[in-house]
Amino acid sequence: MHSEKQKHDFEPKIIAFVCTWCTYAGADLAGTSRMQYPANVRVLKFPCTGRIDPVFILKAFQQGADGVLVSGCHPGDCHYIAGNFHARRRFAAFRKLLEFIGVDLNRLQFSWVSAAEGGKWVEVVTDLTERVRAMGEMVEFKDLALEEQWSGSLNTPELQEAYDAI
Amino acid sequence: MQSDTVDTSCHAAIAEAVRTEARRILSDGTVTAVIGYAASRRKGSTQPIVITSVDDADKLIFSAACVNNLAVYLTKAKKDVPRSGRIGVVVKSCDLKALVGLMGEAQLKREDLYLIGIPCTGVLGSVLQPAALLTTASIASKCCECTDRLPPGCDFVPSVQLPQQPRLEQRYTDEIARLEAMSPAERWEYWKEQFSKCIKCYACRQVCPFCFCEQCLCDRNRPQMVEQTPRPAGNTAWHLVRAMHLAGRCAGCAECERVCPMDIPLNLLNRKMARELKELFNSEAGFEVRDKGPLNSYQDDDDQSFIR
Amino acid sequence: MQKQITEANFRLLLDSLLFKGQRVVGPRRSGGTVLYEPLASASDLVTDELPRRSVKEAFFPVCEDLLEYRKEGQQVALSDVTAERFPETVLIGVRPCDAAAVPVLDAVFSWDYKDQFFLERRARTTIIGLACTSSDDACFCSAVGLSPADPKGADLMLTPLVGGGFLVESQSEKGEAFLETWRDRFAEPDGTQTQALATPATQPFDLKRIKAWLDDHFEDAAWDSIATRCVGCGACAFVCPACHCFDIVDEGSEKGGKRRKFWDACGFWKFTHHASGHNPRDLQPKRYRNRIMHKFKYYDDKFGQTLCTGCGRCIRVCPVGIDIAGVLEEIQEKG
Repeated sequence: MHSEKQKHDFEPKIIAFVCTWCTYAGADLAGTSRMQYPANVRVLKFPCTGRIDPVFILKAFQQGADGVLVSGCHPGDCHYIAGNFHARRRFAAFRKLLEFIGVDLNRLQFSWVSAAEGGKWVEVVTDLTERVRAMGEMVEFKDLALEEQWSGSLNTPELQEAYDAI
Repeated sequence: MQSDTVDTSCHAAIAEAVRTEARRILSDGTVTAVIGYAASRRKGSTQPIVITSVDDADKLIFSAACVNNLAVYLTKAKKDVPRSGRIGVVVKSCDLKALVGLMGEAQLKREDLYLIGIPCTGVLGSVLQPAALLTTASIASKCCECTDRLPPGCDFVPSVQLPQQPRLEQRYTDEIARLEAMSPAERWEYWKEQFSKCIKCYACRQVCPFCFCEQCLCDRNRPQMVEQTPRPAGNTAWHLVRAMHLAGRCAGCAECERVCPMDIPLNLLNRKMARELKELFNSEAGFEVRDKGPLNSYQDDDDQSFIR
Repeated sequence: MQKQITEANFRLLLDSLLFKGQRVVGPRRSGGTVLYEPLASASDLVTDELPRRSVKEAFFPVCEDLLEYRKEGQQVALSDVTAERFPETVLIGVRPCDAAAVPVLDAVFSWDYKDQFFLERRARTTIIGLACTSSDDACFCSAVGLSPADPKGADLMLTPLVGGGFLVESQSEKGEAFLETWRDRFAEPDGTQTQALATPATQPFDLKRIKAWLDDHFEDAAWDSIATRCVGCGACAFVCPACHCFDIVDEGSEKGGKRRKFWDACGFWKFTHHASGHNPRDLQPKRYRNRIMHKFKYYDDKFGQTLCTGCGRCIRVCPVGIDIAGVLEEIQEKG
């Protein structure tokens, strides 16, 4: 049974980097339990949150993500013993760096979702999607990716025009 | 702002002591080579030099233009420096911190090095004009906030009386505070402008003692995680990746910032990250070899207030 | 043709050019750094400082798009750049060491392959040179056969006059045409003395002798002593007005993207790295040797020119103080 689908002006793109053992299984559980959550999220499965490099998050933003979720096993549950502990420190630091260069941290969510927490997955994804929807499009990195640079400020409107003919 | 001259009169005695020590350790076989500074053609300019014979010890100098962190020559990325036997290396405190970091990362062994420490009155922030006088304006920003003018734990340190340092402004602290006070949008604009200047010459990477990867992530194209072209997107990603890779490791020698031909304030990112990691994990670069840095260790009770 | 222009008229001329919608590029302070950038008004022009990067980027940008590809169904659609639409440009305040590099680059960009991107920009640009009245000890134009007032590569040459204003000499048809178009702004020379020119301290190099040594010292211990200290960045090549190596890369996804051309440097480890993993220039001295060989031997062999104009930028920015003028002195002594 599908509930009435709400129409929105803006559908954010959410990229979720999840570990295969806990969060992916949790998302799977949500699916097999027929729970509803926004279809805005694209899930990418990794062996462990310890494998999720901050550069993946940058890449996601550059390629058009409006929000990013990183999710893995609860502390103590890591299949590789300490991958999520390392990830916890790394992302704590990475958040500070992003904040310093002017990225709104509300677009980035970290969570622990176990294989048994289908409900929590739905909650986390729904909250992030709605929060990002309210914030609107993430334009900063997308603009950067579109921005051509021929040589510092040498790209005047005239030159831009020549290139726009491409 | 009015600038005061920094007293560098001790440099002559330091240089003489370095030469004498280099002669001694080369002639008695303590080391096979000494990495130090030599004069270059331009007035006041210096360049790193590797000497292997006693006669060449006369070439060694020390001045406020001896800015390089010579630790870069001891990492894997630089296989060109002879690595047979023990090597003598001239270090300032900031350079020593980098060496200590490299020892912690198992790149170097203390017993393979003979450390010639420099009692430091600060060096120039830029050597575009190397003959410049060392003043409270021309001094490197890293020196303004340096509290370790004498490198500890060296094999040899010239015994000179260090002069009283004039009052210096805390440039990094002030600049970080200025940026932190901005709105996120303003900060984004600031860094966007800074990173868009980058021409991807990779001088920042090449002078960094901690950038010793044999193949940099940014030189790889399968997968291409960071765009290679010097465009705003790839530049921003490159500098963020670099700041992350250095977080918890950077020893603060500020070489990246000094060598940037486009004057991007790169060390601001490194200083900011160093401060954050100190606050988060109570860990900072120092003179004690750490088995593990803050980002390759963990504690069960690390802060996770930001994780749902 | 020789003319004269007052300081005030010169600024007026610049503003008139800009007012007419002419694209004018010249040394401009951007943040703390002086770079060749489009001017918005005459007051933007910086005449007392050598820009950090050379003028080559007006013809050979740091990075430019060559084409765009898109997947459309089963087809791949390509679209090209119309280089004929590059804007007409007046380059002003160009230092002799920068201007002189442009005809040197013409040789390679119009050699077996005609580089449309370079040549179209070149055809649409008028270069107004400015003689130097000051120099530092990194400058060595006079050592490689140029001078602080050398008009090579310039269409018009400005020499500062005592008391302000410039002596203007046309060096090409483009220059003549420019003087003709703006004749109201110029006056006949009244015999006012030009300001004393800069005097770079270096003695002229015997480039023949240097080349002779390079001809038969591909293998030499000197390369190690010169360049072991080189850390392998591209700063020297990127600020150089004559270095012109570039790389081409496709960026994008399987759905679409762009092919881009961007600066490369022989100092990079990656420059000669083979797909097999082998690197014929495996150590830094071999890479630095290529830099010197290319500038003072290979380019001479091929085009009869020297790929160095003595601007001294590489000397100023080298992270480890490698001084090309010092290296040349050393080679000259050996030769």
